[in-house]
Order: sequence, then structure tokens, then C-alpha cells
Amino acid sequence: MTVATHSGRRYPPGRVSSTMRWLGLVLLLTAIFQHIPAAAAPSAGTTVPGYLTVALTGKYPPFSFYDRDGELAGFDVDVSRGVARELGLKLKIVTTEWDGILAGLLAGKFDAIIGSMAITAEREKQVDFSRPYYVSGAQLFVNSKTGGNIRDIGDLAGKRVGVVLGETFEHYLTEKHPEIETVTYKSTVDIYQDMLNGRLDGFVTDRLVGGYQIKAADMPFRPAGDLLYRERMGIPVASGHHELLARINRALADLEKSGYLADLQRRWFGPAAMSTAATGAPDGISSRVVATKLLQGFGITIGIAFLSLFCGFLLAIPAGVVLNGRPSPLLFFVRGTVDFVRGTPVLIQLFFVYFGAPQAGLTLSPLTSAVITLSINGAAYMAEVVRSGLMAVPPGQKLASRALGLSPFQVFRFVIWPQAFRIAIPPLVNSAVALLKDTALVSVISVAEVVRQAQSIISVTYNPMKYYLIVALMFFVFTYPLMKFAGRWERNLKARGYADD
Amino acid sequence: MIKITGLGYTYPDSTEGLRDVEIELAFGDDERITAIVGRSGSGKTTLLQCLARFLTPQRGTIEIDGVATATMPEKEFRAKVGVVFQDLYLFPHLTVLDNLTLAPVLVLGLDESEAEDEARRMLERVGVAHLAANYPAQLSGGQAQRVAIARALVLKPRFLLLDEPTSALDINTTNSFGELLRELGDSTNFIVVTHDIPFVRSVASRAVLLEGGRVVAHDTVESVMQRFLVTDGAETTTT
Repeated sequence: MTVATHSGRRYPPGRVSSTMRWLGLVLLLTAIFQHIPAAAAPSAGTTVPGYLTVALTGKYPPFSFYDRDGELAGFDVDVSRGVARELGLKLKIVTTEWDGILAGLLAGKFDAIIGSMAITAEREKQVDFSRPYYVSGAQLFVNSKTGGNIRDIGDLAGKRVGVVLGETFEHYLTEKHPEIETVTYKSTVDIYQDMLNGRLDGFVTDRLVGGYQIKAADMPFRPAGDLLYRERMGIPVASGHHELLARINRALADLEKSGYLADLQRRWFGPAAMSTAATGAPDGISSRVVATKLLQGFGITIGIAFLSLFCGFLLAIPAGVVLNGRPSPLLFFVRGTVDFVRGTPVLIQLFFVYFGAPQAGLTLSPLTSAVITLSINGAAYMAEVVRSGLMAVPPGQKLASRALGLSPFQVFRFVIWPQAFRIAIPPLVNSAVALLKDTALVSVISVAEVVRQAQSIISVTYNPMKYYLIVALMFFVFTYPLMKFAGRWERNLKARGYADD
Repeated sequence: MIKITGLGYTYPDSTEGLRDVEIELAFGDDERITAIVGRSGSGKTTLLQCLARFLTPQRGTIEIDGVATATMPEKEFRAKVGVVFQDLYLFPHLTVLDNLTLAPVLVLGLDESEAEDEARRMLERVGVAHLAANYPAQLSGGQAQRVAIARALVLKPRFLLLDEPTSALDINTTNSFGELLRELGDSTNFIVVTHDIPFVRSVASRAVLLEGGRVVAHDTVESVMQRFLVTDGAETTTT
């Protein structure tokens, strides 16, 4: 779920099984749909006639990434161009998250994935792979300054070796080299930081990716020893698309024969390419692209926060009223729910909704999952705030309203609630600030909010401190006035005669 | 007329608040204000709470003009009997004017402008018309007291219960408040629960003396006051 080597990533099992269920129908429909033009014109057996629609992530330099000008570039992008040209089709590239990429292929959203996907037996059960278009593998890298005496993995018994969480490298190391202490990280950027800090003695990643990133980021690391194992990268198409697969295989054979693939390898992974990357693009991405990505991300952040706040508050009002009321089964239920939500980590709740809902037959988009989770979480905290706001209204206010003949609903609507709300505003604003900050967590379920955008930028620039600082400041610019406002409001409350007992 | 028969109230902790209270509170053109006096714990606040239907007595009945209050619909009862609390409980989030218009609009169904005219007239009568746009937190004790009375009176109740209305007022304000009550007593009858003897003497025509939850005297103010002052501070058995 982070920027890492695609080849080694696992496909989240919960998502596959659930998505598959409704995808069956979609597949059937697309199959029927695709059959008609395929029969009429054999050359147009693709999702969009006349086009080869290809998916990749755009976040996996040097295979696919956005260059300084925000244009897609990379080895996989060039391979896609070559294949489309050989097929006599125009090229259409779709960028999509890695963990949904196979589902997209099965749903017929694109014809093929040219995204450095390793051919594995597991994946071959779902899709048909082309012949491999390049071979890479797992490589151990060590610090070229401090790791001088390390020749290969055999020298690392009892040492700490980093891998990205969930990659096949992790399982390889724990199974084949139990004598090594395997340390898992969210992304290679984090691994590089700890290599420099001396917390790691080495790390294992894809040979080509590692080599490129080390050069691009100008890191003092070197490969040690041979490939630990090899991985063959192929182009998957949905099962049954035999004709398309055959044509792609012919195209790849022709590209290999003509030397196109070898040229690309030299261009993207050869020594010349490395030095260009290292000297020509220290920042790897233009500031305009950075600004656009961060602002768009922050827009999503604010959108999620606002929506969750709104929904959460609507839930919190009745919940707070129930919590403030007489003991009843409903109170017992609400009290239990609020305590449970407040007593468990938001991150776990997020996973629960994101991965759990599909098992209940409800496939939610990452964005929906995020809003639902944060709404419920926010509601639990705000319900307590509403409850204490209601409690802080002197009971005499209710008595006085009743003496004037107001109905119970009118008493709540026009007397109790307006006062409780004013009393609750400072803690409510604090809840809003907390909720805004909690949106940073939803990056883990691949919502393209500002933190994830920053991670994407960092995957190209290798400058975590700079971009995390910018993101922190973006949050602060938003939260600081809110906190000031809450403080001022709180000081005014007493002067205006609320809850004076 | 308010007729109280065999009224008894026992608190959940078994304290007897009222025992067998029997009184008829009659009002006339010159007798608009009745005081209920007694020492703390004598049951006067309990009696007020029962009269206001905030407490439901376990025994006895309260009748207004021959109708038992216990059976009156809430709306009808509240239209007849208003309450001004010791702590006033003005609504802090509303202006003085809005404090006065809230119930007429919501309960009586007056439209906004109608309710506002009524409210301004009432504020004029109690002498705080210039404070209509203020919030309760900006009022002095005496001003707030007048606003609270006005808020109750805009609903034109037949009876207005006042709980210790002078407890937060200084002597001057108390005096002018007494004058106000006398002026207002043209269509509303006041039942004032208080231990402020000078105030009772200056405003009330009749008084009820409570002790240990029982009525020990119900007469003209002077005779009740003499009895109160004799027993005040001394342990007396009165049956």
C-alpha cells in the first residue's frame, strides 16, 4: 500500500474475494460487450476500440512515475508505447492503485497491466501472463562506507536487514535466513533513512529499483552478492483473451529482436541513466507539480475532514442526548459503543471498515471507508462533548421553560440545545482539529490525501523531512486559527452567563 | 380561588414536606397578593412546587376555581399559573425581548410582530423597555427580576407564583419591586413565597404561615406576622 517494489507485493486477500463476487457479473457483461466488436473486427479486441488501454501505478520509479513536468515517464511507460505501436493501436494509460490493479483488469477496465508485475503461480490462477519482458530479482544492498567487509547475505547473521512490509522479500528472509533480524518498513525511503542512521546493516529490495533509487537519491549504498532469487515480469491480460495475449507476445518478441527492450534497459538502468538521474534531477520533480499534488491532496484532506465532521456531529447529537438521559437499553448500547470506539485505535477501526465491510458483502471505496470511519470515530468523541454540554446547562432552565408551557421538544430545541451547543463549541472545535489530524491516517488505505501525496513526492525526491514539514505546516495553518477561536469563545462563555453554576 | 384540601407530600427520602395542608386562597380587587411565609424547612417551597405542578403530591388536591389542577392538560394549566423562580432562570442565549416572545410565539401561537408588541408593552410596564436588546448577563439583579416577571406576565396567567423574589435585591430595589407588584396586580394574582418580613408587610394583603409542613396561620398580614415573629427563633409546638 506504499511505494515499494511491485513485484513483491501481495494482493490483499480480503479485497480479492469480496471484489470478485460482484466482479463476476461485471466480467460477464464486459465479456458479452467485448465479443461483438471482436467478432466484427479482429484488430479491435480491446476495451476501447483502436486503443490499447494499459494500467500502471505511476508511483514506481524508474518504471512509472511523474517526471518534473508532471508527465508519465519510465521503463514500463516506454514498453507500453512500444507494445501499442507494434499492435498498431493508440496507447491509453490508466494510473491506478497497486492493490486494486488486478481487480480493475478482471473488471475489464483496461486490457493489460504493464506495471512490472512478477509472474507468480498465485496470480496465474486469475490472469494470463505474457512472456517475461524483463527479469529482475531480490538484491541485498549494504552501506558502501561502513559495510566494507560484507560480501553477501552470509555475512549478516545476527545483523539487522530492512525490507518493505508485505513484500515477498520479507517472507524470503524470514524463511531462508532466520539467523538474520528482519526489520519491516513502510517504504524504501524509510529504509534509506535508517541505513544512514546506522540502525540497519543492509536491506533487500528489487535489484533494478534499488539500483535506480540509490543513484537518484545519491545514497552511499552498494549491492552485495548475487541475486537472492530471480523474478520474471510479464504483462497480464484477463483470462480468455487469447488473441490479445498472442499478439502481445508477438509484439514483445519483435521488440526484443529489434533491440528496443535492450535500449530501454540501457536508457533506464544503465550507468549513463543513473548519473543523469543523480545529477540532473536532485529534486526529481518540479515545484509546480509538488504544489499541485500537495494542494489537491490537502483539498481531499479538508473534504474528508469536513464531511466526517458533519456526519459525525449529526450522529453525536442524538447519541449525546441518549447519554445524558435516564438509564435504558438504548443508553446501555450507546454508552458501550462510544466507549469501544474511544478505547480503540482509529487505525484499527479504519482497517476494520475497509477490509471488514467487503466480507459483509459491502465493497466500499477507500474514500467512503475513510469518511465512515472518521465519522463514527468523531461521533463517539463529540457525543461525549454534547453530553457534557447538555449537563452543563442548569436544570432550572428546563424548569423555567416548562413553567412557560413549552413542550419537551421545544424546551430542547429552543432553550437547552442552543445553550449546550454554545458551551460545547470549544471542545467541539478541539474534536474537529483532532479529526482533521486523524485524516493523515487514511493514507494507509490509499486515499490520495495530503500525506499520501507527500509520500508519493518523497518516493521520487528522497527528502522526507522537507515534505513532511510542509504538510505539517499546511495542517497547522488550518488548525491554529480554529484553536485560537475555541480559546476565545471559551473565555467569552462565562461573561455571557452560560453554565455559571 | 385556589382551594387546597388535605395536601401531603413526602420526599423520596421519607422527609415529610407537607402534612394535611388545608387553605383557600381567595383574591379580590384589593387583595391581589398573598404571602406564604415560614422558616427554612417549613414546607413553603414544597408548597410552591406542588402549586406549580413540579411536584406531584401523594395526598390531597389543589383546585383552581373548582377544577383539580392534577387533571388539567399541561397547556391549560401553564396558561393559568406562572412561576418566577428565585434564580430567575432567564435564557442567557436570548435577548431580553426574545426571552419575552419565546413562549407567546411557541405556546400561544402569536406571530412574531404581535408577540414583540406585547413584549415591549410589558417591558414598558415593568420599567425596563430600554433593555430589550440586552442579554441577561448584562442586567443588574433588579433589572433581571423585572424581566423575569415580565416574561411570566406576557402569558397573562391568572396566578403568578414568586419564589423568594427579593433574595437577590438590595433594600431600595426591594422597595421599588414592591411598588411594581402592587401596580401589576390588576388582572394577575400573586402568591409570594418569602421570608422577607418587611417586604411581606409592604406588599401583601393576606399571609399563610407554615411550620413543619403544616399551615399554622392564614389571616391578614399583620396578625400572621405577629404570630410569625413570636414563634420565630423559638421552638414552639403548634397543633
